[in-house]
Amino acid sequence: MDEDSTRLKQYAGTKKMNDFEWDFRQGVQRYETWDKVRVGQSGPGMRQFVVEEEDILAFNLSCLETDPMYIDPEYARSRGGLWQHPLFIVQIVFWCIDTGIGSWLRSPGARNPGQTIELHEPFVVGETITMTCTHVDKWIRRGKTYIEDRCDLHNEHGTLKATWWTRLIIPPNGAELARYAEM
Amino acid sequence: MAVTELHYGDIEIGYQFPTIEHHVTQEVIDRAALAHLDFNPVHTNIEWNKRAQVFGTQKTVGHGMLTMSMMASLIDRHWRHAGASVIRMQSKLVKPVEVGRVVRCEGYVKELHPRGSGQSYVLVAITAIDNEGDPVGLADYAVRVPD
Repeated sequence: MDEDSTRLKQYAGTKKMNDFEWDFRQGVQRYETWDKVRVGQSGPGMRQFVVEEEDILAFNLSCLETDPMYIDPEYARSRGGLWQHPLFIVQIVFWCIDTGIGSWLRSPGARNPGQTIELHEPFVVGETITMTCTHVDKWIRRGKTYIEDRCDLHNEHGTLKATWWTRLIIPPNGAELARYAEM
Repeated sequence: MAVTELHYGDIEIGYQFPTIEHHVTQEVIDRAALAHLDFNPVHTNIEWNKRAQVFGTQKTVGHGMLTMSMMASLIDRHWRHAGASVIRMQSKLVKPVEVGRVVRCEGYVKELHPRGSGQSYVLVAITAIDNEGDPVGLADYAVRVPD
């Protein structure tokens, strides 16, 4: 185990954390690249996300929350249930994308210019969340290659829970992506 | 500091939120990487950053989504006990947050959106500022509040 993984290991408290790739340089040849993405293409995420209490709790703790409604499931249970931080959607989207459609989100060398997220309903423990990802735009501005997807998250009843328009500046092609990965 | 009772009709434009501040250590970034499932090496790989310098620095940087989470916490910690909920987040991230920086978030009510029947919301303008005094993120968060 390398130095970074050893450091991360001490905080990896959930099953999903331990079942996920911890080095996004691995497998970049499977990622979508800016030059190959076709605007308008749409498809389901590679994985579904079953919401567990430990997922919400771990996310809340990472946001440095201290209120027991965020970090004490026993306390929260008799008061309507554990609150989830508004950014919890991030964990769900990265899980669902994995190395499938939308995987440019994992690109080494990427920069985050800003994001848009809409939340319709809180996620509920036990729900199975499915993601649909659509490539909505890609553009060049001041020599940088931007890309944007729309990631819609539905539960098993078809209710739209949230939408994240993921947007990054990413390497322009596979060769540049591989160069970053191999540094 | 948390508000326990809040009504849309009582909120005025310019209302200021109590600021929040966090020290972005490597442990904070590592925990965010695990919770976000975002293991881009720019956040977690210390040696790679010395070579790649994606942001022109040899240091790791915090997730943009970590900055956005702090911006959401600014609202949640003050208003959530009173029944408010963030419904839309729109951000512009303007400077990377190098490991070791302290980030402070400030915010105020910028717009009122009367809808009635539990649908009214306010728009909160938020600025995240690092310990050099530079903005790192600017955002508008829509927050639904009780009637």
